[in-house]
Amino acid sequence: MNGARWLAQALVAEGVDTLFGYPGGTIMPFYDALHGTPALKHVLVRHEQGAAFAANGYARASGRVGVCVATSGPGASNLVTGIADAMLDSVPMVVLTGQVPTTLMGTDAFQELDVFAMTLPMVKHSFIARRVDDLPMMVAEAFRLARSGRPGPVLIDLPKDVQMADASHLPAHAPLPVDAVEAPKDASLHEALALISQAQRPVVYGGGGIALGDALQDFRTFVDATQIPTVLTLRGLGALPTKHPLNLGMLGMHGSRAANLAVQEADLLIVVGARFDDRATGKLAEFAPHARVVHMDLDAAEIGKLRAADAGVRGDLRITLAKLTLPCAAHLHGRNGAARKAWRAQCQQRAQQHAARYDAPGHTVYAPALLKRLSELAPEAIVACDVGQHQMWVAQHWRMDHPRKHLTSGALGAMGFGIPAAMGALMQNPSGQVICVSGDGSILMNIQELATLRRYDLPVKIVLLDNQALGMVRQWQELFFDKRYSEIDLSDNPDFVALAQAFGIEALHVERAEDVDAALQALLEATGPALLHVAIDTAANVWPLVPPNRSNSEMMDDIEASPAVAIPSPPAHAPSPQEA
Amino acid sequence: MRYRLDLTLRHAEGALARVLGTAERRGFRPLAVEGETRPDGDRWHLQMTVEGDRAADNLHEQLAKLYDCLDVQVQPCS
Repeated sequence: MNGARWLAQALVAEGVDTLFGYPGGTIMPFYDALHGTPALKHVLVRHEQGAAFAANGYARASGRVGVCVATSGPGASNLVTGIADAMLDSVPMVVLTGQVPTTLMGTDAFQELDVFAMTLPMVKHSFIARRVDDLPMMVAEAFRLARSGRPGPVLIDLPKDVQMADASHLPAHAPLPVDAVEAPKDASLHEALALISQAQRPVVYGGGGIALGDALQDFRTFVDATQIPTVLTLRGLGALPTKHPLNLGMLGMHGSRAANLAVQEADLLIVVGARFDDRATGKLAEFAPHARVVHMDLDAAEIGKLRAADAGVRGDLRITLAKLTLPCAAHLHGRNGAARKAWRAQCQQRAQQHAARYDAPGHTVYAPALLKRLSELAPEAIVACDVGQHQMWVAQHWRMDHPRKHLTSGALGAMGFGIPAAMGALMQNPSGQVICVSGDGSILMNIQELATLRRYDLPVKIVLLDNQALGMVRQWQELFFDKRYSEIDLSDNPDFVALAQAFGIEALHVERAEDVDAALQALLEATGPALLHVAIDTAANVWPLVPPNRSNSEMMDDIEASPAVAIPSPPAHAPSPQEA
Repeated sequence: MRYRLDLTLRHAEGALARVLGTAERRGFRPLAVEGETRPDGDRWHLQMTVEGDRAADNLHEQLAKLYDCLDVQVQPCS
């Protein structure tokens, strides 16, 4: 028994059944150990970034730890974007990297790279196993840390000689329990309750922490019992079903008018597992200017980080929400009952008034209508997005009923996430339905993973919205850079249907609105992986849009459809979509 | 605004880099660092002076989250 074989058995003991990776020189002992570990299914990707995103998607969809493996040097550096994405979106992952033998570390050896140092800012923790005796503690701690509290990625760097060292003296692996989550302090609950009882125009602002904290049911019970209008962040979508009467939609840069205006007019924000991200708040100084704040979060570092909390409630969201539900519901018909009722009606009326329309004229495919329709045809599906305009259209128009069914690179905004994340989501539930929505820019960032879909016959259904441009950048150049288009033209895209077919993937094409339904049906009925190439209008934009460094009350809308809407002048310094 | 940080860290690979990196990334410039391992050998005791305009409470919380950080105290200093 060597270190690598001990490690493989330890992964099984941790409950790992699938790992995503790519072999190479310094990780070969571990790959050799896979021969004797049939309980571990290894998925051979075609680029290490695909492995990291697939493990990421596996973890997001399942709530379990995703595991990826790569060799040292370029193998490890290719994982980095997927690790960063997991850190920023709080995704539990364990990352295993090969390393040159300990005797060569620090000598600039072949494929030596200090991945431990490279990833310090983007991991929850990391280890270098310098002795085989380090493995039991490091593996146990890696999984405990990845799972505990606010989840995140943990990296273990594995020098080749450590993998090959005799490990016969090591004990069988014993997983550590997940840390108990602290209950909220009674005093903080009393403060929160006092503020909630006084509010006349309260809004619940829910985020990704709801699903991470397994608090979905408690959240829904709280909203239903208190009848408080609710807005959701990108990562909170699905915490309330899209059709829920109190769900005003997503807030922020591409949020709904009803959500953003409710927040701007609220006298109390009840923040549940959200973090005042700049994409959600717009200009922070003008965000929810009339509101006091009750901030509930597991992570104390988020409370007061960007917006002072009048009542900060740190601890288990399930307990927090459960303890507040009945006392808060008691105020439903209290002294502010009439005001609350009027406020709720105002919010709901505005949501109806500004509901998205799907009756776009003409024969061009209207992407929002297609996405809405697809989500209705496949209500049980997990949707994994790439990054760009299509990502925002999914957020705005997909009918969602669970946050773990919406996989999106929220904080990092990493193009190339979609296909591998979908692959990972399917691996955690092979009988489930997984749809990847991508764009013509994003898809080519990890197109090689079509080969992985084919190899394992993973029936991911890909909808490729092709506007022959880097659409989100094009939109910003149109609106904030005086239409000085720079390096966004993708009109020389490959023939995506032929490309998919070259990988052995069934592929379809649609370009007329009247053919969309049949195309979607055909896509969903395909037995294996399939791609639907959808030609859409190059000039299509995502609306509404809060301009950079503006208040969320200053939403721009489609200038051609709504010429009466005042468009604020662009800021003096127009930042890029990435900078804003 | 200047702050003095008193930290007890695991004597683990990367612990110092994590603390310094976290302080800098969160908006605090290190001005002075002094530390030693005590005879027990498995702890770093570190004193840092940092300068920054952001809330020191948040720096405290960010440092306290680090696995290698066993204790941290943050106090204003001149």
